[in-house]
Amino acid sequence: MSIIDLENVNFQYKGSRDGSLNNINLHIEKGQTVLLCGASGSGKTSIIRLINGLIPHYYSGELEGDIRVAGHDIKQTELHKLAGTVGTVFQNPRSQFFSVDTDGEIVFGPENIGLEPKEIKARLNDVVAEMDLDEILGRSIFNLSGGQKQRIACASVAALLPDVILLDEPSSNLDFDSIELLRGIIMEWKRQGKTIVISEHRLWYLKDAVDRVIYMENGKIAREWTGDEFNSLGEEEVKTYKLRPVVLEEELIRDIRGESTSLFCDVENNIELKDFFFSYKTRPYLLFKKKFKESDGDLLNLNIPSLKIPKGKVIGLVGPNGTGKSTFLRCLCGLEGDCKGKIVFDGKTYKGRQILKICYLVMQDVNHQLFTDSVKSEVMLSMKDEDEKRCDEILESLGLLGYKDTHPMALSGGQKQRVAIASAIASGAEILLFDEPTSGLDYSHMEKVGELLQELASMGASVIVSTHDPELISECCDYVLGIKHGKAVYLKKNKEL
Amino acid sequence: MRLDPRTKLYMVFVVSLIVMMSATTPFLWAIRLSITLIPIILMILEKKYSSALKFLLAYASALVLTFYFLSEQSEGLIASLLIGYCGIVVQFMPAIITAWYVVRTTKIGEFMSCMQKMHVPDGIAVSLAVVMRFFPTIKEEYSSINDAMRMRGVMLGGGNVLRMFEFRMIPLLFSCVNIGEELSAAAITRGLGGENKRSSLIELKLGLADYLLMAFLTASTVIFVVYKYLL
Repeated sequence: MSIIDLENVNFQYKGSRDGSLNNINLHIEKGQTVLLCGASGSGKTSIIRLINGLIPHYYSGELEGDIRVAGHDIKQTELHKLAGTVGTVFQNPRSQFFSVDTDGEIVFGPENIGLEPKEIKARLNDVVAEMDLDEILGRSIFNLSGGQKQRIACASVAALLPDVILLDEPSSNLDFDSIELLRGIIMEWKRQGKTIVISEHRLWYLKDAVDRVIYMENGKIAREWTGDEFNSLGEEEVKTYKLRPVVLEEELIRDIRGESTSLFCDVENNIELKDFFFSYKTRPYLLFKKKFKESDGDLLNLNIPSLKIPKGKVIGLVGPNGTGKSTFLRCLCGLEGDCKGKIVFDGKTYKGRQILKICYLVMQDVNHQLFTDSVKSEVMLSMKDEDEKRCDEILESLGLLGYKDTHPMALSGGQKQRVAIASAIASGAEILLFDEPTSGLDYSHMEKVGELLQELASMGASVIVSTHDPELISECCDYVLGIKHGKAVYLKKNKEL
Repeated sequence: MRLDPRTKLYMVFVVSLIVMMSATTPFLWAIRLSITLIPIILMILEKKYSSALKFLLAYASALVLTFYFLSEQSEGLIASLLIGYCGIVVQFMPAIITAWYVVRTTKIGEFMSCMQKMHVPDGIAVSLAVVMRFFPTIKEEYSSINDAMRMRGVMLGGGNVLRMFEFRMIPLLFSCVNIGEELSAAAITRGLGGENKRSSLIELKLGLADYLLMAFLTASTVIFVVYKYLL
């Protein structure tokens, strides 16, 4: 018996062709686990929104066809009536929480539908036991890691006991181990007989978990595989569909978890980092702060007395979340004033504020670093002496010349990223840092970022890119630098290049 | 110490009321100062020592300056700037610090439960809760934007005050609008806005501390008003 029925559905968002749907027929049986894959903008998220009713009740547009979910006619059903039937885990942990504390978040749904306090308490306890959340209960959501946030999001959906659970790119902001936990949660739901629909770019963690795979292209269902067919798809075939790999190599997995055993390889043409110590725990002080030293050991969140990294190459920065990757990047580009690290570059030593001049971090949320009203002024802002010719050159090399007068906020995500890179180059930065530039991107966009990083390196820049995407590492990194517990644990040449 | 949100709201109301009425005699000043001390003591009880100390220093220095160094006859640029600064600190800081204390120590769940007890319509309660929920978000976004500006070396907007403001506000507004939109979509799918009356896991009960504090606040207000206007 099918629980989700989409019949001859056509949809187009108001004012946008992106993500529109074209004659969709999809029937999902109760208890099935279905994966939606395909490029960004191919309509995966739109299908999720049709099932949870956000289309047409929240995102409006032209909608034709019939949508029935667990006996509800979606077009006629108000959203809040679906709350106990369909639950959705969204992509961005930053924007799906209503509460500030974890307990409050889990009970938010049950409170909304007006359950008795006793019943709410019981559900809270069940969910916490089931998902092993004891340690993160009673904490502020703003202090959780991405993986912990996503577990709370799953728990708060589960607390409403929905029959249908939708996940919209749930792994985008997670590291390897958190993704494994997410897989565990999905398997548990599957065991409970929930109907699960997942839209996702990362495929490896869903191997052996899904019953059906729907491949979307330009708003249409272009192909369908059974779970078994999908599990045995060859590497080449996956690539022709522009999908990310289904199977990861063992070595890449070890790399990405910071567990590679090989030690530091020698690099001749290098940049030397010295005395990078930093701790988030501030110590009481009276007149001046005490400098951190290597011997402070466990107190430090970053502990790198000396490290030589290759110059003019792309270096992948890997390791589990919360063990120092972001701290390393922040200290390296001079954002943490308490870190007194020095960078020896081309025989010159940079420290303190000088570091800000040679290093530039392209943030994960690139919206934070675009300030002005046109691409051109964005680049000019970074130049010490405004030079229009140089500006055009930079834009040309990044394929942005045609968007010179466009407002940065009107560009696509990838274009914004390139504008940020353009202003980094314009500022004269020699070391470019990237904080997870490919999270949430589909295969072809990730490939493009990879090519771009290689291109930057060939133009002479040294690129350090922190990532959880094994695919990106095999795609473009010359070296892999592992960080664990604030220490550099290995630096090795990437074999594939 | 856990205070009931209702007590906290009442405290915000009373503190704002008293600091807004000008104190003219030493006795009225005494009342006003004792009212101002309440949020400071509460902050110390919550172990927020550094904020309490900072506030106490700012407030005390503003008071000392006002009473001993500034008068209506003060002249010159520095004196006039100081008068403005001290006036704002003395007049508004107690209310701001009380509000800050309330926002920092009240969970959203408690707040919603409190609103239900006071029979505030869900629509208003939810909107207020979202505002509270947004403070930490804004702080987080703002600090990322600040980092980005430091990297670009545009902290001071090239000396242009307007650009300094613009560079911070534009990305902040864009990301807050986006987060707001996604946040409400997520909240609606979890049943917010239905016709059902919301329930609440947290059951609020007024304790001894609540009654004592409310009695003290009420008494202070009454005495203040009586002494100022009726005697």
